Formats: sequence, structure tokens, C-alpha cells
Amino acid sequence: MTQTAEHKKTKKRKEIEKIIRAEDNWEPIGATPMPDVADLRNWDMRLLKTYAPWYAPFCDLCCFCTYGKCDLTAGKRGACGIDIAGQQGRIVLLACCMGLAAHGGHARHIIDYLIEKHGEDCKINLGDNVAVEAPNIRTVLGLKPETLADLRTAVEYAERELIHLVSALNTGQEGSNLDYESKALHAGMLDHVVMEAADIAQITGFKYPTSVADTPLIDAGVSCVDIAKPTILVIGHNPATSTNIIDHLRKNDLYDKVEVGGICCTALETTRYADKAKVIGPLSRQLYYVRTGIADVIVTDEQCIRTDVGIEAKKVGTAMIATSDKACYGFEDATEMDADEIVKKVVEEGKQYLILDHEKAGEVAVKVALKLAPQRRKHLLDEKEAQELAKSCRECEICERACPNLMSIGTGIRQAGQGNFEPLRQMVDECIGCGKCDQDCPRKIPIMRIMQAVAGTDTFKVRAGRGPIMDTEIRNVGAPIVLGTIPGVVAFVGCSNYPDVDDIVEMAEEFAKRKYIVVMSGCAAMVAGMKKDAEGKTIYERFPGNFDAGGVVNVGSCVANAHITGAAIKIANIFATLPLRGNYEVIADYILNRVGACGVAWGAYSQKAATIATGCNRMGIPVLLGPHSSKYRRLYLSKKGEDDWKVMDGRKREIVDTEEPSPEHLVYVTESKERAMVTIAKLCIRKNDTPQGRAIKLNHYISLYKKHMGSGLPEDLQHYVRTDKDLPIVYKKEVLTYLKEIGWKPKPVLSLPTLIGTYPTKVPLEAVIH
Amino acid sequence: MVMPLHRVNVLTGTKGAKVVTEAAEFADTIKRAKRPLFVLGPRLLGTCLDGKSLVEYALEIAKASKAPICATAHIRAKMMELGVKPDSEYDVVEIINRLKDPDWKGVRKEGNHDLVVFFGIRTDLGNQGLSTLKHFAPHLKTMTLCKYVFPNADFSLPNFRKDEEWKSFLETLVSKLKEEG
Repeated sequence: MTQTAEHKKTKKRKEIEKIIRAEDNWEPIGATPMPDVADLRNWDMRLLKTYAPWYAPFCDLCCFCTYGKCDLTAGKRGACGIDIAGQQGRIVLLACCMGLAAHGGHARHIIDYLIEKHGEDCKINLGDNVAVEAPNIRTVLGLKPETLADLRTAVEYAERELIHLVSALNTGQEGSNLDYESKALHAGMLDHVVMEAADIAQITGFKYPTSVADTPLIDAGVSCVDIAKPTILVIGHNPATSTNIIDHLRKNDLYDKVEVGGICCTALETTRYADKAKVIGPLSRQLYYVRTGIADVIVTDEQCIRTDVGIEAKKVGTAMIATSDKACYGFEDATEMDADEIVKKVVEEGKQYLILDHEKAGEVAVKVALKLAPQRRKHLLDEKEAQELAKSCRECEICERACPNLMSIGTGIRQAGQGNFEPLRQMVDECIGCGKCDQDCPRKIPIMRIMQAVAGTDTFKVRAGRGPIMDTEIRNVGAPIVLGTIPGVVAFVGCSNYPDVDDIVEMAEEFAKRKYIVVMSGCAAMVAGMKKDAEGKTIYERFPGNFDAGGVVNVGSCVANAHITGAAIKIANIFATLPLRGNYEVIADYILNRVGACGVAWGAYSQKAATIATGCNRMGIPVLLGPHSSKYRRLYLSKKGEDDWKVMDGRKREIVDTEEPSPEHLVYVTESKERAMVTIAKLCIRKNDTPQGRAIKLNHYISLYKKHMGSGLPEDLQHYVRTDKDLPIVYKKEVLTYLKEIGWKPKPVLSLPTLIGTYPTKVPLEAVIH
Repeated sequence: MVMPLHRVNVLTGTKGAKVVTEAAEFADTIKRAKRPLFVLGPRLLGTCLDGKSLVEYALEIAKASKAPICATAHIRAKMMELGVKPDSEYDVVEIINRLKDPDWKGVRKEGNHDLVVFFGIRTDLGNQGLSTLKHFAPHLKTMTLCKYVFPNADFSLPNFRKDEEWKSFLETLVSKLKEEG
């Protein structure tokens, strides 16, 4: 290294040490505090060696610059030199930058807003049971945040990195698909930093419940609001305005007189703030609900809002206010106008406004709802009316061609026209709510309104989001998770682009009954509560909300996903006593090899979801996706038993070929819930499992296989049996016969498997020994 | 270029499937292949053509082709019920991942396959997987037997509007495959 380079490095290190207050001696600083784009590149390349990118191009062409369009088929390169794999990596990085920017923008806004409200020295407070307050920020930055200003520091770091990441997308920059992937992994890691910063700020600033498991049960479902009352619908993710709506209602003694319901993550945020607010549903119910006209006012903030919501609101006479500079919809800015003047214009002239003052937006929303509601006639289509409308269907199948979920809508509508609503009722659970069928119907049949009419009017219960997992809980479950006697942590996260909405509750229940720890967030957390058993109880009423075997835990909205990676990190820290501070590789390596956790984003649709999953992957957590997610274009797959599964035995300090594909893939798509359940059980297997733990995990893997794949044993079972002590008693005889048949030989059982020492890294092997 | 039934699968590109309407042409292609493979998916479940399940059609075609079967998703259970053990059990993205490696030994360890016939995968996932093979597996050809156009396949069926047409195609295919020569 030249003297100038050395000087720059020292200067940079000093800057980092200043930012993270290196003199605060809470832990030694690891190898990569506040890592740059390339600082964890070797870790990424090690992961990508085993879990190579699998690309499914959505498009044969590149159309990013004026050289193009360039045809990238048959090994051809574009005019800039890029090939089809590079272009896929580039699109993946673009998606991850978008996701990071969306969460980062949310975090930046809410932290600035709360600093304005409470001051930058406002101490963060996650209650008595959370001492490791920000595991992602501690691990990535090396900073132990104490105040809202510290959370802003974490976001500022991500903002700086994001510029470098986006710059790599420009034509004539990065060229290798693997380096695009490394950058995407960097964006994913940063995403968990900004999500964590956002949710800690929200818990602190809005005094959400924290350090408790038993949060309130919230009314949920499309029919859960009393339509006789004025109704405000909040859509999006950012609670700055929805909390002001609640404040205004409380201050004016209107809390019981006005309904506030939410769609998408704002629903989860608002119900953490006010347990009388309601969860209308996930993103897939947005257009349905807007078109019912039940809402008197729609208030949007940011992310996952239909971009035509203003047009749709106008059609049904619902007032609309936008409140985020990220989603203005062309509305006139009324931020400086007098609140009563805005109300008058909205009510009398049907004006739609952008209001960037959240307190004012809250006041306006309530006043408009109160004035507008008595003037509006809310009429929900009944089945008789739906049948009349459906009668004009000629089953031309144009709706079916338009459906992204490949549904036979035409058949359902035709049957409804003949008075048989059952086929259509089934389809409600499969519908992703995009409205393309309505748009394309040549006979202008209001398909979504008809579906809504037959959907039923049941109401449900969703447990309010609870934020971070408590340190006390980690102390109880850390050992059984790492040893394998709690067979895994399964996190159902993300959006509602499901093949069938019922899949979520079915899968969640299967794993909760099997005493896995089931975690929920975002739209998945909502839909999990929207199914009842024979006794009329939802999953949240049947299973406890604590982070323990058989618990079903709702951590909260999208940004609360950081608490799921946070829990995995805390296991490394609290149970294994590994220092977190700037110690990313050590912690990710620990999680990859020893924490049996698996994410399930069954309905992922957005760039944000792609980023969250990619962040989990860098942290060593595999993610299973539903069939739509093949459109993300990239997975990380191993060659199963035929790949390189060598690790370092940390105790003996020698490289060992384990021959064990665990975890088998890092991000994976499957087509059916049945296959998903078998795969989830397998993805929770880790090299560190004790024989007792492995036997429990294999018991679930085999029994799920037999349940969904028919008789016999999984054909890859031999990879996961190290010695006969790993065999579950129930299947021991059958498995031994099989192993004998195929000539299986015992394999080593490691107590300290690690990738450190198998690739070039600054991290010494001693760092993983605890 | 023929449009797929489902708009999500519209090709944005230059290299689209050859749509084949004659079963004899499919039969010839399968017969000419040295190591064909059938990849069967869960959309075969629950659909019948004149009382005969699609799984039975698929098994009959594979048998007449003397080709191994890879069972994806959870279709294995039905196959076992019908007394047929699949030759391999990769999930759809896994088998595609292995197929794109020219040095892979194939499900019978005799060498990678030169023709892969997909049947019963949902069209969006199937078309994405076929894109992987189109771009990254020039050493093999792909074919689909579902009643929809898959633009990223090498050879695809048309969008059959009537199930009778599809049934007739599948039955002719079986009889052509059984013909000597």
C-alpha cells in the first residue's frame, strides 16, 4: 500500500471511530465498522461460490441507454459490453437500491419528524427487556445508538453507501454479475440498518408497545368497520399522519365516533398506536376496499399505494389527501392553507390535496370525514345485484388473459351470473387485487365489486405488532435453537402477491403446531389472522405471542423485519457471547452455520421485499419465495449434494468436507405450499445441530415429506444424516434400511463449523471461537 | 410471433418459441433426442380430459418416450398413488439449475439431457424457468405440453381454446411415440 493510500485509510478509520464513538468501550471493534461497498466483498464471493446466482431473464434485451436496445441472447453482449448475466445482476442491484431507498426514505423522514417533535437528544427506549437495542446497527456500524440523533447517523451512513451503489448501475461502470450481486447484498444489509432505525424511532417517538409479547388483539377484515360511522382509510407505511389523526380524534373526544382503518403496513403502525384502529387488510385488498366507497376520506403516506388511488377515490365520492413528498399524485400543495379552508374545498368542490404538515393533515382528515359522511350513501352490492351484473358475461376469457395470478375468472363470473357464487368465492382468496380483469372486460362488468359482494362479511383478529424480540426471550431460546432442539425459526414476511392467501395461515399453523417459532410481519401478519378455525378463532387467538417454541409472533410492519434479523444476531450475541460491534462477517457466519432460521416471503412483489430478502441472505438466513417471485429474475441456489460443502472445524482448525448441503439454498422459489413446507423444514437444518436437535429436525422433514410427497423417504435424506444418532426414533428402522441400500457412510459432526478460514478475510479464526 | 394466453408471459425480446400444432412433429423431436427428460409439475393435478387425469397422460407420454421423469413441487404423491416412482425429485428451479450445467450427469447419471419436456408448471414460473434455459443452456432444447404458449420454450403448443383439441394432440402424440422408427 502506498503512503497516500495508507494515510487515506487511517483518516477514514479515524472518521469512523469518531462517528461510532470508539472511545465508548462497550465492545471491541471488529474488522468492518461502517463497511464500504467492497469491504465485505470477500464474504459475498464466498457465499456466491456455493449459492451461485440463478438468473431467469424477464427480457432478452437491455434498454437502459441510447446505445440500445441491445439483444443479449445467444451469448451476445450489448453495445456497452454487458452480457445477459451482468444485466440481470444489474437489475437485481437496481431493485435492491430502490428497496433500500424506500425504507431509508421512510426512516429518514420519520426520524427527522420525531426529532422535530421530541428533540435529537431524545433517548431511545425499548422497555426493560431489551438491552441489545439495535443489533443490526451495532453489528454493521459498530455504533450503540442512544438517541434519535444516533439513529439518524445510521441512516446517513446508509444514504452515503446508497450513492455509491446507484452509481455502479450507470452504463459503463460495473461489469461482473457477481460484483453486482455483492453490491445488492450490501444494499440488503443496509436495508436492515435503516428499517431498524425507523422502527426504533417509531417505538420511541410514538410510545408503541415494547418489551411485551401479549399485545392487544385488533379487529381486522374488510367488514370490520362500522359503516354507519364516518370512516378514514389510511394507506401506506409511514405513521406520521395516521398518529396525528388518532391524536386529533382523542383530543376532540371523537375516538369512538370515527372509524380509522388501515391497508398495508400503515394499518399495523396505526394499531400499535391505537388499539381501536382497525386492520382492513393487506395490499391485495386495497382496490377492493377503495371501490366499495366505505371510506369517506383516504389518507395516503408512502409505499405500496396504488398510484391511481386518487382517480379511484373520485369515482366513488371518497375524499383524498396525500401526505408524503414521495407520492404527491399531481395534487395541489395545500400545506400552507388554512385547515378549515382545505376542508371546505374538499367537501364542497371535491378537491384533492397534498398536505405535508402531518398535524394539519390529521385535522383535515377528521373534519372532512365528519362533514362528508352524512352526505354520502354507502351501498354495498348484495349477491342479487352481483348476479344481475354478472349475467352479461359472455366468457370471452379476456379477463383470464389479463390475470397475473392465472385465475379462471370468466368461469367464476359466468357461474355467479347463474346464481352459483361458490367458484367466485374461492377465487377471492387467490385474487391479488390488481383490477386488470375489470379494466380489460369488454362488457365493462365490475368484476372486483362482484367478487367483493360474494366475499363474505366475517371479521377477524390480528395481534398488534410487538417490535423487537426481548433479550429475556433470547436467553430462553438461544441454546435450543442453536442446538436444534427448537427445530427452527420460520418468519412469514412480506407482501400479498400470493398464489392463494390461505397458504400463509396453513403453513404458519403447521410450523407452530410442530413447535417451531413462527414470526410474522407486514401483509403476511395481517392475512394470517384472517382465517378462523371451527371454533371461530384465528391463529393469534390459538397460539401465544411470545418468541418461543409454538409461539406466533407479530413483530409489526415492513420495517419491523429488522427485528427478525435482529433476533438471529442477538442469539449470536446473548447466547454465544460474540461481540457485535463492527463484526459483520463473524455474526453472519455464525447465523449461516448455526441458527436454524428461514424466511418465507410467499407473496413478495416489491423491490423492498427483494431487498429485505437479500439482506437476510448476506446475514446467512435462507429465504423461500412463492412462484411469482421467479419474476425477480434471480435466486441463489446450490447444486445440492454435488456442491462444495467444506467448512473449517473451528476447534480442530482444519478444513472438513461435511458433504452436507445446509442450508441448501439461500433464496429459492417453489410452486406449491406443500413443497414449501417440506423445504422450510429442510432449510432450518444447520451444521451445528446436536444429534438430538438433528433428529428432531429430520423427524419434521420426513413427516412433512410423507404427508405431502407420498410414501417413502426424501431422496436427499442421506446428506443430512451424519451418524445414526441423528436418526429420529419414529423412522429409525426405515431410514437405516434406506441408508444401507444406498451405501451411506457416517460423516463428521462439528461443534464449531465456520466459513472463516476458507476464504481470504481479515477476520482471524480466533474471532469465531467463543 | 404467437402471443401467450397469459399476458404476464408476453415476450420482451427476440428469441421466441416455435409453436407446433402437429403432434407428429413433437413426436419426431422427442424420438430424435438422445436423452430426453420430462419435468412434471403440480398443475397436472386436479385436471382431467374426459375423465382421464393429466398426470396419467403425462406418465403415458413419458413411458412411450422411454424418458425419465423429474417430479417437482408435490406431484410425487399422485405419481406414487398411481404406482410410478419418479426418477428424480428436484423442484423446478433446482432441476433447471442442474440442467444449465453442460457437465451435469443427468438424472440417470448418463450425461446431461438434450431435450427437456415441461408439463404442468404454472405458466409464469414455467416461462421464467424456460428463460433460464434459453439463455444459459444452449446445449439443450425445451418443449412444453400445457395448453398455452410458452414464449421462452424452443417448442410450444398453441393456446388451445378447446380441451378436445388438446386431448387429441396428447393422444396422437402417444400413438406417434409408440410407432416404430
